[in-house]
Amino acid sequence: MNATASATLVLAVMVAVYIAAKLFKVSTELSLFAAALAGALAGGAGIPARHIAEGAFTYFDIILIFVTATLFMNLLKDSGGVAFVVRSVIRRFHRRKSVLFALFAVLLLIPGALTGAGSVTVLVMGGMVATVLGYMDLPRPRIAAIIFVIAGLSAAAPPVSLWAMLTAAGVNMPYVGFFLPLLIPCVLLAMATIFWLGRKAKPVNLDLALRELPEPPAGMNWLRIVLPFLAFLVLVAAGRVWPFSFPILGLPLIFAAAAGLTVALSPIRLPVLEIARRTVAQLLPLIGTLTCAGILVQIMTLTGVRGLIAVTVVTLPVIVVYFTLFVTLPVSEAVLMWGAAPVLGVPLVLLFNTLNLNPIVALAGMSVIWPLGDAIPPTAIIGRLTADTIGMKESYGKFLKECLVPALLIAAVGTLMVVFSKKLAFLTVF
Amino acid sequence: MRLRKIAIGVFGLALLFFSGTSFYRSRHLKEPVVAGAGVAKVARLGDYFEGIRGTTNDANVYVLEGTEPGGTILILGGSHPEEPAGRLAAWILAEQGVVRKGRLLVVLSANRSATTVTRLGGAYPPDFSIKTDWGEQTFRMGDRWSNPLDQWPDPEVYVHYPSRQELAYVDIRNLNRAWPGRPNGTLTERTCTALTELIRREKVDIVIDLHEAELQYPVISTIVAHQKGQDLAAMASMMISGSEGFNIGVEYSPLSLHGLSHREIGDNTDAISLLLEAPEPFLDATRGRTGTDLLLTGRDPFIVKAGRHGLLFEKIDENGWPIDVRVGRHTSAILQILETWSGDKPERAIVLEGIPRYEEVIAKGIGAFLRDPAKADPKSLYFE
Repeated sequence: MNATASATLVLAVMVAVYIAAKLFKVSTELSLFAAALAGALAGGAGIPARHIAEGAFTYFDIILIFVTATLFMNLLKDSGGVAFVVRSVIRRFHRRKSVLFALFAVLLLIPGALTGAGSVTVLVMGGMVATVLGYMDLPRPRIAAIIFVIAGLSAAAPPVSLWAMLTAAGVNMPYVGFFLPLLIPCVLLAMATIFWLGRKAKPVNLDLALRELPEPPAGMNWLRIVLPFLAFLVLVAAGRVWPFSFPILGLPLIFAAAAGLTVALSPIRLPVLEIARRTVAQLLPLIGTLTCAGILVQIMTLTGVRGLIAVTVVTLPVIVVYFTLFVTLPVSEAVLMWGAAPVLGVPLVLLFNTLNLNPIVALAGMSVIWPLGDAIPPTAIIGRLTADTIGMKESYGKFLKECLVPALLIAAVGTLMVVFSKKLAFLTVF
Repeated sequence: MRLRKIAIGVFGLALLFFSGTSFYRSRHLKEPVVAGAGVAKVARLGDYFEGIRGTTNDANVYVLEGTEPGGTILILGGSHPEEPAGRLAAWILAEQGVVRKGRLLVVLSANRSATTVTRLGGAYPPDFSIKTDWGEQTFRMGDRWSNPLDQWPDPEVYVHYPSRQELAYVDIRNLNRAWPGRPNGTLTERTCTALTELIRREKVDIVIDLHEAELQYPVISTIVAHQKGQDLAAMASMMISGSEGFNIGVEYSPLSLHGLSHREIGDNTDAISLLLEAPEPFLDATRGRTGTDLLLTGRDPFIVKAGRHGLLFEKIDENGWPIDVRVGRHTSAILQILETWSGDKPERAIVLEGIPRYEEVIAKGIGAFLRDPAKADPKSLYFE
């Protein structure tokens, strides 16, 4: 059997086992694991213990960020901080929808832009923004779509865009010149998203909202809430401003520090261990999915399936490559997450380079499209995280439907940036 | 339910045992080096910079001294251990080289930490073996980046010292993005500081950093030269292409791309810095089944397909890029660079013998140039 037939067969086995597992109501994470095991067996690798363990650690850092950031937010919520913020925002802006939307778009963009992780936006800002939007009579799936789409854009936004950075590293291109090509589309698309999806939002019924919202505990004030966020921002910024004298803390420790400060500043005594236990229980499905997605990627690489997918995509006719970016990039993200950058990003940027396009603008365009894949199964990590964080009870399909228009807009903008990258080269000034 | 929990527990424990054993073996695999007759002494990187002494990256420095004075060359293998031709070529230098004039310093594991880990999600084999007349010698596969067990966590973005250029976060563990090093920095940065100190103290004239590259990467089959070494590289390239049986190009080190050996060594020391790239299909993103076979033969139908679509910067056919060919390119390029240098600077000449050239490596295989540690004098036996 030749390499293509062999890899195709392994891929078919993986897909079949995944679908079968889902039909038997097996959870997403175990279905992924079953698909990986079946792929390894079909590929003649047996049960490769080393590869399973190694793959399981692929997204270990991201898992730590998820856990510590969620712990931080849960502590803040239990201390009454979230209720305090939401009540204050509603009081101040309940009649000024446009200002509120613009403010939310900016607030949602900042955490992901600073850290490169849309999950941080969802975890840090998502809950609070969702609560306020809920009082504007927007359905939960639409709120989830607003938060998810802008979280994705925040991850692509400068200064830290991991897809652009990882791809640039893969082609030995300095991460320079990306600021405007990433910033402009991300800000404009974030605004377009919130104004489009929030167009039917009603002014907040102030009395009702204030009656329904939980009362924050006595003694809660802005200082107690802002200080942990400030500590987070200062610690992130310090690493960037004084990179040679400030120790590398890593995002998990920074979130843990912010969480510690939240506990210290809380006006009420927080049951930290109980909240930590609840946080881990809340995140367990996501952690499992990330772990098993890592295993799946490793087995796909081992058996040649990853190569089959990559070579099939990059050898399509150029015009097809352009106009399938909106499919190939999100799908690669759904399966590989940031691993999509070296697998598809590198060959695509080199392809665009040989076509005499501007690789920086083209890569920026691709980076804007990539995060859309975070809502797509099998992993759907950020999509599910968003749904969990805002407490969406409706079906996941409804959420995806709400994402459709902004997603199409983002895909169109990203694709046009690739196609017209040469004409947009003036944006690559810093 | 209880049975299910027990079954999952047993499966988990079995995975833990078998994977743990494999990881332990990789990290502690001893790679023997039989120092050749030309090796006068073996120093440690820690001798040049205290900040690295006793760490995983306190690498061996094999010093080959000639009977006549001359210049000094430093060869770096293992900057990126996942590019094994670089390490293997350096191995041959340490085991077979005899210097008549000048000095040759060889580091086989410039980033030893990176030899002890394999790429997460990359499905790399833990190690690979080279056949010899006396059996097989096994080498760690390694990765591009230092082991997170030795250097962790990563920042959100890597700010290079001293240029402040921003790079992908993971490159803070990339030895070839950390030059010239930072004395109080990370393990990788301190390793570069130690190597920079070595270059300064030993008054090294030329540094050659041995690498391999994916075929989809434009900088391939080439000598990347700092501006101080442009003439040397151009002349050596011409000579190699004319007489060694393979072509090698010349690329000039970009002035604005920081952290790389070919830029920073030239900028921060008196040495000329050159970097050699050989083709390694194993690294290509479009590679198929991943394993030692692909690593050592360089044969892959998916990459051939990518080549047919004009997506590669180096040719590839069904014969692939065998490891012997890749190592032979490195040994021949080093010899030609030395001959060109010595012809141009007789007072700083470096005359090296005993090293097989391209055609000989291909004809006999690398294994023919690896010494049997079982028969070696214990005094000349070292481990990487």
